[in-house]
Amino acid sequence: MPDQSHFLSVQILGIVFSVFLSSTVFFLVKNKRIQEKYSILWFLISGFVLIISVFRDFMEWFSNFIGIYYAPSALFAILISCAYMLLLNTSISISTLKKQNKNLIQEMGLLKLKVEELEKKLRESEEKLSI
Amino acid sequence: MQTKILIVIPAFNEEKNISIVIEDLKTNVPGCDILVVNDCSLDNTSNVAKTKAGVRVVDLPCNLGIGGAVQTGFKYAQRNDYDYVVQVDGDGQHLAEEVPKLITEMQKYNCDMVIGSRFLDIESFKTTNIRRMGIKMFYLIYRLLIKIKVTDGTSGFRGYNKRSIAFLANNYPDDYPEPEAVILLNVNGLIIREVGVRMRERIHGRSSITPIKSLYYMTKVVMSIFFSYLRTRW
Repeated sequence: MPDQSHFLSVQILGIVFSVFLSSTVFFLVKNKRIQEKYSILWFLISGFVLIISVFRDFMEWFSNFIGIYYAPSALFAILISCAYMLLLNTSISISTLKKQNKNLIQEMGLLKLKVEELEKKLRESEEKLSI
Repeated sequence: MQTKILIVIPAFNEEKNISIVIEDLKTNVPGCDILVVNDCSLDNTSNVAKTKAGVRVVDLPCNLGIGGAVQTGFKYAQRNDYDYVVQVDGDGQHLAEEVPKLITEMQKYNCDMVIGSRFLDIESFKTTNIRRMGIKMFYLIYRLLIKIKVTDGTSGFRGYNKRSIAFLANNYPDDYPEPEAVILLNVNGLIIREVGVRMRERIHGRSSITPIKSLYYMTKVVMSIFFSYLRTRW
């Protein structure tokens, strides 16, 4: 049987972490440093952390269910899985951005060439006119 | 109506080779337009290319890698209604006198992409053992997955017609595009042929693929090939 005070300190840590995380995300969204759509997953995770920190019975039940005997370990296991999910989400966003970025770079290169050619044509016709 | 041919030269830090390549093309295939895609070189590639009369230069504002650079050429060709694109490396290992061979092959067999192969005919070409091993592996992968014989899947000396230009302008792989493009075109119903060509050993500089990168290269390309193949099945 694990020490009860250990149990409690992990709970408190979880609650503090959750409040810290959700308020950080909240202010980042408020100051437009994160778009709303990317904040949803973060809020869900911090809400989840809060729930499992407050209701210790849930963690007991869950850790028994998946066969982890020390409940706080299950908590960390869940948190790590959540972190993986967020990282995956970031990889998806990066891939999308990279694709859009590539298209923009290509368009810009092609447009620069077009502008140069048009400028040259313009210069030539202006020269013709001045003669 | 005259056939419009565009020669696309992807170039990254090729100031020493690019003018030789351009001169070679202008002498041997004078009817073709030349587009140099300068992939944000750190040297003087762009200015050297711009001094050549009749050569158009696209300067990409950021480095995209060979795939993104060549795709810029496809986009240009598509918008300016070219009939054929021939991709020639900026390092001088591809010979301008072999360009007509690629065009003739496409006209004769109405195929969508033609690969200039170093290994198809008798002439041998010196290349590193590890690269040869890689090429052999691609050959086997192609035979297994798409049941066609491609002896030089990594060759960047290629010709494309309107159909493949239109397709690749929107779907061209990023990092090491050549081997993957073979699968990509094939599974999308485009026809690929090979023609034997001679090549020169590079004049200045080294291949972009160092031995250390080889392992990553093979893994990445094999993965890409696998997924390109899978996407059309599912």
